[in-house]
Amino acid sequence: MFAHLHVASAYSLRYGSAFPAELARRAAEHGMDVLALTDRDGMYGAVKHVQACADAGIAPVVGVDLALREAGDGLALRGPDGGGTGPGRAREEERITVLARTGGWAHLCRLTTAAHYAGERGEPRVTRDLVAPHAGELLVMLGPRSDVGRALAARRDEQARALLAAWRAEVPHLVVEVVDQYGYREANAALRMLTLAESMGVPAVLTNAVRHLDPGDYRVGNVLDAARKLVPLHPRHLEHSASHAYLKSGAEMERVASRICEGDRDRARRLLAATGEAAGQCVIDPLEVLALRGGPERLLLPEVDGDPVPLLRGLCEDGLAVRGLDRSAAARDRLASELHVIERKQLSGYFITVSGITDMIRRMGVRCAIRGSGAGSLVNYLIRIGEVNPLDHGLLMERFLSDGRVGLPDIDVDVESARRLDCYQAILDRYGEDRVACVSMMETYRARSAIRDVGAAMGLPPHEVDVIAKAFPHIRARQIGSALTDLPELRDSGLNDRALETLFRLAEKLDGLPRHIALHPCGVLVGNSGLRDRTPVERSLLDFPMSQYDKEDVEEAGLLKLDVLGVRMQSSIAYALSEVRRVDGQEIDIDRGVPQDDRATYDMISTGRTLGCFQIESPGQRELVAKLEPRTMHDLIVDISLFRPGPVNSDMITPYLEARHGWREARYPHPRLRAALAETNGVVVFHEQVLRIVDTMTGCGLSRAEEVRRSLSTPEGRAGIMAWWEAEVLPEFDRETTDRAWGVLDAFGAFGFCKAHAAAFALPTYQSAWLKRHHTAAFFAGLLTHEPGMYPNRVILDEARQCGVAVLPLDVNHSGRHWLVERHQAPPVEGPEEPRDPGDGPSERRFGEGYGLRVPFSSVKGISEAEVERMVAGRPYTSLADFWERARPSRPVAERIVQVGGVDALYGLHTGAPRWRPGELTRRDLLAQVGALDRASATGVTGGRRGRAGFRSRYAAARPAPAEAAPVVQIPMEFTERVEPGELPEMTEAEAVEAELEILGMDVSRHVIGFHRELLDAIGVVRSDELLRMRNGAEILVAGVKVATQTPAIRSGQRIVFTTLDDSTGPVDLTFFESVQGHCAATIFGSWLMVAKGVVRRVGARAVSLRALDCWNLVELDEAWRTEGMDKVWAMLGVARRDTGGVGGRPIQYGNGFRLSPYADNGAPPGMRLPPAKLWHASPGSSGPPPSAPRRRTTDVTP
Amino acid sequence: MSRIYGDPIEVWTRDDDPARFVWRDRLYVVHRILDHWVTSREWWKISENDPGERRFWRVEASPAKGVGTYELRFDTASGGWLLLRAWD
Repeated sequence: MFAHLHVASAYSLRYGSAFPAELARRAAEHGMDVLALTDRDGMYGAVKHVQACADAGIAPVVGVDLALREAGDGLALRGPDGGGTGPGRAREEERITVLARTGGWAHLCRLTTAAHYAGERGEPRVTRDLVAPHAGELLVMLGPRSDVGRALAARRDEQARALLAAWRAEVPHLVVEVVDQYGYREANAALRMLTLAESMGVPAVLTNAVRHLDPGDYRVGNVLDAARKLVPLHPRHLEHSASHAYLKSGAEMERVASRICEGDRDRARRLLAATGEAAGQCVIDPLEVLALRGGPERLLLPEVDGDPVPLLRGLCEDGLAVRGLDRSAAARDRLASELHVIERKQLSGYFITVSGITDMIRRMGVRCAIRGSGAGSLVNYLIRIGEVNPLDHGLLMERFLSDGRVGLPDIDVDVESARRLDCYQAILDRYGEDRVACVSMMETYRARSAIRDVGAAMGLPPHEVDVIAKAFPHIRARQIGSALTDLPELRDSGLNDRALETLFRLAEKLDGLPRHIALHPCGVLVGNSGLRDRTPVERSLLDFPMSQYDKEDVEEAGLLKLDVLGVRMQSSIAYALSEVRRVDGQEIDIDRGVPQDDRATYDMISTGRTLGCFQIESPGQRELVAKLEPRTMHDLIVDISLFRPGPVNSDMITPYLEARHGWREARYPHPRLRAALAETNGVVVFHEQVLRIVDTMTGCGLSRAEEVRRSLSTPEGRAGIMAWWEAEVLPEFDRETTDRAWGVLDAFGAFGFCKAHAAAFALPTYQSAWLKRHHTAAFFAGLLTHEPGMYPNRVILDEARQCGVAVLPLDVNHSGRHWLVERHQAPPVEGPEEPRDPGDGPSERRFGEGYGLRVPFSSVKGISEAEVERMVAGRPYTSLADFWERARPSRPVAERIVQVGGVDALYGLHTGAPRWRPGELTRRDLLAQVGALDRASATGVTGGRRGRAGFRSRYAAARPAPAEAAPVVQIPMEFTERVEPGELPEMTEAEAVEAELEILGMDVSRHVIGFHRELLDAIGVVRSDELLRMRNGAEILVAGVKVATQTPAIRSGQRIVFTTLDDSTGPVDLTFFESVQGHCAATIFGSWLMVAKGVVRRVGARAVSLRALDCWNLVELDEAWRTEGMDKVWAMLGVARRDTGGVGGRPIQYGNGFRLSPYADNGAPPGMRLPPAKLWHASPGSSGPPPSAPRRRTTDVTP
Repeated sequence: MSRIYGDPIEVWTRDDDPARFVWRDRLYVVHRILDHWVTSREWWKISENDPGERRFWRVEASPAKGVGTYELRFDTASGGWLLLRAWD
């Protein structure tokens, strides 16, 4: 039977379109018994191919299709390539295909790695010399794209012959590959290739250079070609015969052979026989690759000095003593059972290695915390991988590692995000490049990326493509068409236009195809010197060695990994602690030296003032903590676990809260289940409880229970478990209990939350809350510097203000690289929108008083790292000219610094004070001076003068503070103009804030909403701090800056938009249901300042949220108010909206009845996260660079 | 000397290859296939259902007397055949 030896899957990036499993299935359907996968440039799909072949019952062959580097031996040539050549076509690269011969996997891996290290990053290249050392275990195929093939196509037969001879001299297993895809004259070229091979005694094989599964898929291939080559979709750039590059059947391939051989049957038969023979030499044993299948797991364990088993035992014994558990019988029993499992699985060395790594990370002074199921293991606690004692929280080891579980345990640790790469580097240095590699991941085409690539391929202007792409939420590419009709904000956007139809149609075709390879956010492989025999390694963008396998492949290949995840909150905490140390000289041991039951901290959490705190800052969580009122670490663990789709889905929050607050008694499905459920008042919250219920009701043991829980995540698994459950429940449980318990297990499915995760999260959650309450300014400095949360910095800044922390403007003499805390005894300037006291004592609300936060240089737009460095190093400065000379900022940066008041202090300018007095210096005067300084430097007159100190502002040199002295700004060279103070009018308050928003991305001196106060008062807008006084069900107007928009997964299967507005007195949380999105969606996603009408919903003693009815863009209202007056505004607010239809799209229905909107939970929704260029109607004279594209923020990955 | 026609013709096939065709009321029998190739058109400019594929055959065929060379084209989407060129 025919064997395809040259097959590219979708893992040939921007080339192939079929996935390995589909190809293997199709090959099996064709009755083939061997199938090769030869992806371009790497083995990204190799493990999946071997798996797919094993599943389909065929033998796998694996190879790589590699580009040739032009050899310097004079044999290379230039010339038009074979079939399908068009005029003006660029010469295509030469490629060869290398197959691993039986047992040659390691050599293929090593050659692939070598190719990646030989070429430019991302452009692997091989030469004959590079192949030669591995050639004994490999089979090299030279096809029409090879140097030989191209020479022959160009009718340089002698050269082709010489090249083939050169290959033959170096490579013992060499074949010539003939291909005919029915292109013009292609059969003839193939025949000449075959003849050449025959004449030189090199075996010839037939392939179809497969790219696709079905004939019609070539259209995807055309789009991919255009995207890859960055050329427009035009016949000139396409292969005309691409429709034949699919996985043909044996009969079809026989026809191809016969066509090439012009009907010479013997010759065709010989060609096919040679193909089969080559395939036979290259078949690999799946078990050689798939380490978890077929008997005992064959893991690649790290090397440890000495026998790891006694070593780990010793470490644990020491740990018992250090942790004060050496007398605890429970701890000893648990340890014994854990060690038993670990030793049976031969994982002792892995634990020792991980412990060594976490020790090393901590010794580097990097914060490091365990996360995930690993927190459930006592061993991890004892050998100091983690700081969570599983016995304290009833965490189970089985959730992490159990006898029955096939697969590898995964230890996850969180480190400071800013130091993650340092940690990687340290691990690399310690174990060596050969033993360590990062895990990769495939980024696949989604709506936005597909639109971008297709748009580029169609030659649309880049900025238009950008606008179109950003209009879509983060959905799958194939949802583009339905989203255009389902989502109100797209329906009315004008994108649904015939002109763009082709763009969207093509973009949908790319759905789910791998687009590029990237560093996995956390996975690190730690192996031994044999690592690179098992996985090919390439260089990541940051030059780390990176495996070509993704995390599933890595596990399947038996490679142990450690997840080192960078967590911004850990960096924030570390920064906060360093600021406390710097400013107050106080050393805080946040991990061990802080009480875990601090009343003030829990008081703050219970009032929902958790903005900025880890895990509990989202609108939904603020609502939940206010209702739950946590008092202990355990409450926090429950809170974090409840705020997950699982518990929300099976409606566990209400019964839990009712029982918690004593409104009803805790109910247990059965008295025997009380032990498992007592900690959460009878409500199932944790995975661990699911395990205990299953164990209690069937007696199957926790290890089996964990398998049961895992099986629930797939529909097939669920059906199997349902039958198992009916059969296995012990007779003492009645029908009703059995059914009820099943209902819970089913609803919980795979969604719920592992208590070990929550326990690991609860610690930084509490730590962040504690810091917010007790070291407020330092905590905010950490948040502003590392941006760990979901809110933009201006919201964090406003929250800081409300906690009583002063916000200090940029000042060239006080600002640093990052946000700095300053002691600030004077009360902050009372702005007009100072929060009104809502009834709490001022100390309760303003616990951060006494400190200020200084805006750093790094927040100035467009500033370079080097500029920041010079500015910080050069402090103090005595004048603008001095700053200009020594810090050497670029002119725009200097202007921006002046615009936001960075040199105000040097010249005694005060914000808030009446700043334009005739004859006195203004910011605009200083701005003009920057221009003068720049011109002076540019003329070259002062070429030698720049950098020369000594020219000081007379004023600044003489007296440091008084404002009455009229400053005269001296220019450090006589040829420049003098600037008279007061020549130019001062910036207005509004202009100052606008400049701040534009340059710093936040309003520092005043809250932007303040400028609309008059209008908002006129229409009777309710402020955030007044919400608590509103009665339930009242219909009110609110307003503010939109600071967050989320579309999370929720129970009803609707797409619900949660929006948070900030109105300077606090957050206002709005919920837009689908019924109102028809007329609201465009405004929600399209405006920055918003007015909304909503119905008050009291959700707890101290929490209020609003069900939104309608919303308006405040800027438009403002415009109407100014131009047409109040009546117009009332008309706008009162207008009955035409219903344009809600959100369409069928919810995704899960087996257990859970429904999910197809547009829910897809990351950051589109829309504006930064202020638009113009906020309010008029700002004459405002200068500055054009608005930049919004900065994209990455969110941390949660499990 | 070849001439270009582009006439619609009726074709009978065997194993997907043309075997006989009628052109200008005369029956031609295909003796030998000289060449066969496939091209794709700018399908992105056409409709969703048109794969844009065209198949070409250059054949030796004869009516009652004499042998000529003819180029036939099959349009996958429409299912129609054309006689493109003839050398006779």
